[in-house]
Amino acid sequence: MEDVYMGIDVGSISTKGVIITKENKILSSEYIWTEGNPIGAVKKLVRLLEKQFDKENYRIVATGTTGSARKLVGTVLSATVVKNEITAHAVGTTTFHPDVRTILEIGGQDSKIILVENGVAVDYAMNTLCAAGTGAFLSSQSARLGIPVEDMGEIAVKSQHPTQIAARCTVFAESDLVHKIQVGHTKEDIVAGLCQAVVGNYLNNVGKGKKIQSPVVFQGGVSKNIGVVKAFENQLGCPIIVDPDGHLMGAIGAAILARRNKERRVFNFDVEDMEFITREINCGGCPNNCEIICVYRNGEMIDSWGNRCERGDVAARKAANPNAAAV
Amino acid sequence: MAEKQKRKIAFPMVARYNEVVRYFVEEGLQQTYIMQPQMTRRTLKLGAKYAPDMVCTPFKTVLGSMIEALEAGADTLIMVFGYCRLGYYGELAETILRDLGYEFDYLNLAEYSTGKKKDYLKAIKKLNPDAKAVPMGKAGLDGLKMIEYIDEVESYYYQNCGFETSKGEYRRALNQFTADLGRAKNRSDIDDAYDRCMSRFHEIPTDKGAFPLRVGVLGEYFTVMDEFSNVDLEQSIADLGVEVHRWMNVSHRNIHYPGEKNLHPRISKYCNYEMGPTSTANIWYAKRCAEKGYDGLVHVKSAGCTPEIDIMPVLQRIGADYKIPILYLTYDSQDGDAGLQTRIEAFYDMIEMRKKVIR
Repeated sequence: MEDVYMGIDVGSISTKGVIITKENKILSSEYIWTEGNPIGAVKKLVRLLEKQFDKENYRIVATGTTGSARKLVGTVLSATVVKNEITAHAVGTTTFHPDVRTILEIGGQDSKIILVENGVAVDYAMNTLCAAGTGAFLSSQSARLGIPVEDMGEIAVKSQHPTQIAARCTVFAESDLVHKIQVGHTKEDIVAGLCQAVVGNYLNNVGKGKKIQSPVVFQGGVSKNIGVVKAFENQLGCPIIVDPDGHLMGAIGAAILARRNKERRVFNFDVEDMEFITREINCGGCPNNCEIICVYRNGEMIDSWGNRCERGDVAARKAANPNAAAV
Repeated sequence: MAEKQKRKIAFPMVARYNEVVRYFVEEGLQQTYIMQPQMTRRTLKLGAKYAPDMVCTPFKTVLGSMIEALEAGADTLIMVFGYCRLGYYGELAETILRDLGYEFDYLNLAEYSTGKKKDYLKAIKKLNPDAKAVPMGKAGLDGLKMIEYIDEVESYYYQNCGFETSKGEYRRALNQFTADLGRAKNRSDIDDAYDRCMSRFHEIPTDKGAFPLRVGVLGEYFTVMDEFSNVDLEQSIADLGVEVHRWMNVSHRNIHYPGEKNLHPRISKYCNYEMGPTSTANIWYAKRCAEKGYDGLVHVKSAGCTPEIDIMPVLQRIGADYKIPILYLTYDSQDGDAGLQTRIEAFYDMIEMRKKVIR
């Protein structure tokens, strides 16, 4: 029986999971849509991972979660490590590409840049106010053009003269795009222009003031779009490495972090049959009215968060006095 | 004749300094001080509702806490000034509050900022024409001491609270200190509060290790000092097991400020002229932290704070020259804390892993 490690990355758009061995070999991996339901997605993901998993010879001894729903999913899975996605991506990528200097990451709602020196992250930035230059922008525009978002890259590389599209802001980009369609630019040129707009926006916002050095690894869902990869190569003037498992890098990072951590808790896939619900309550202890999220497993509260002081620590109060009326 | 009605004076909430204003108003001016509730999301919501949208967040919280002070029964408001847009905020807040129909007396210190000390006496005379010089001078000096104590206690607190072996000890001592200051009636009360807190601090067992992580926090005057406005930034960093250092406070910036002419020579490589009320000090402090080998810097500002935006390129240069990571945080009134927490945790992981490799 060999000990293995599971990593789950629940993003705004997609949910990723891997099970890896001590030697970083991927035993099972899965990529599904979150569809606005992180708990449902993770239960489905665990079921799919279980199908590929050899329970006779392996045993999951530690679980790490990452991504924007990491805390919620970490509670649901009783994870041993809950880590932010920046660290998870940095750890995952530096494990597979030890000489990497720059990690570009474009996901569904956010984008990041991580600078690496001697195998450790030394600087990072993340988009703040605007989702232009992320996957969400590309997928909304693909719907407008009637092209499946998966095909955008292939269409973009056919273009000889990419259309210039104002990239500062999603709203401006969209009105510019509509205008360019109406005056007769071809679809290939427009799609290629979109890919360049994403890159331009990324480099001007997230990448502003950062020294991008080769080797550059590009990951996140948008890295599957060959048009964006080519646009990056053009603008940066250096080759861009896209790992075939790039979309799983956050999950792999979470699994590696779970392995490095000392805590061990065997995971036996029984969450599939449990019922998890969340409820939001307003604390009411003071005019701040913190919004507190309570997580219930089979009707029993297992955790709560969102409070800024101990007055709102619902789970602790419940634990101290289990017979009190339900909150 | 009945005794003259006392004024009910209030001051916008600023970090932990309101107790100082209370002390001066009650002991020096012999008037009543009205302490509005601590700031909450309601404060910010009130401020954001009535303030212009593009104004910086501190104005919104200040306006909100002025409204809460008036609701609590204050009839006189004091407002400070500064050398950025803050210089105009006193007038703006008054106009907004009067338009809302509130009736109150208003002391806008900007109107007395002529540079002559005796003009401030005029301001004080406005609050109480019969104020006596001796108790007022004494309360003024006590107040300055109180500020120094508060800053010293806070600074010790954030440098050590992340390492306590049993959670919450430091916070209890700090809360006790704040409560003691709230009851202080004379200088010996103030000294006792400080002595008790510091000796309690020194007894708390901590486990720091040989090389604790050290982070310098700097940035815009109000947001960097006020823990409501920066969503407990220093506490969140300290809780990860970090020494949090902050130079910016009232003692350093206002009471013992070395002045631009003394600071500029120390940063002549980066900056030769004044860019804003706290820019010179922040650049100098960033450089000093880098030279002392701190593990990282956190730069804090509210959205649209021009002086602090201006120093960011300088900080980037310092970051590159000294190889010190810098986290830039911008606060706005609609910020949730999930994004903030992600950035702080990632920053912590980064400096922690980096330190292991360097050492």
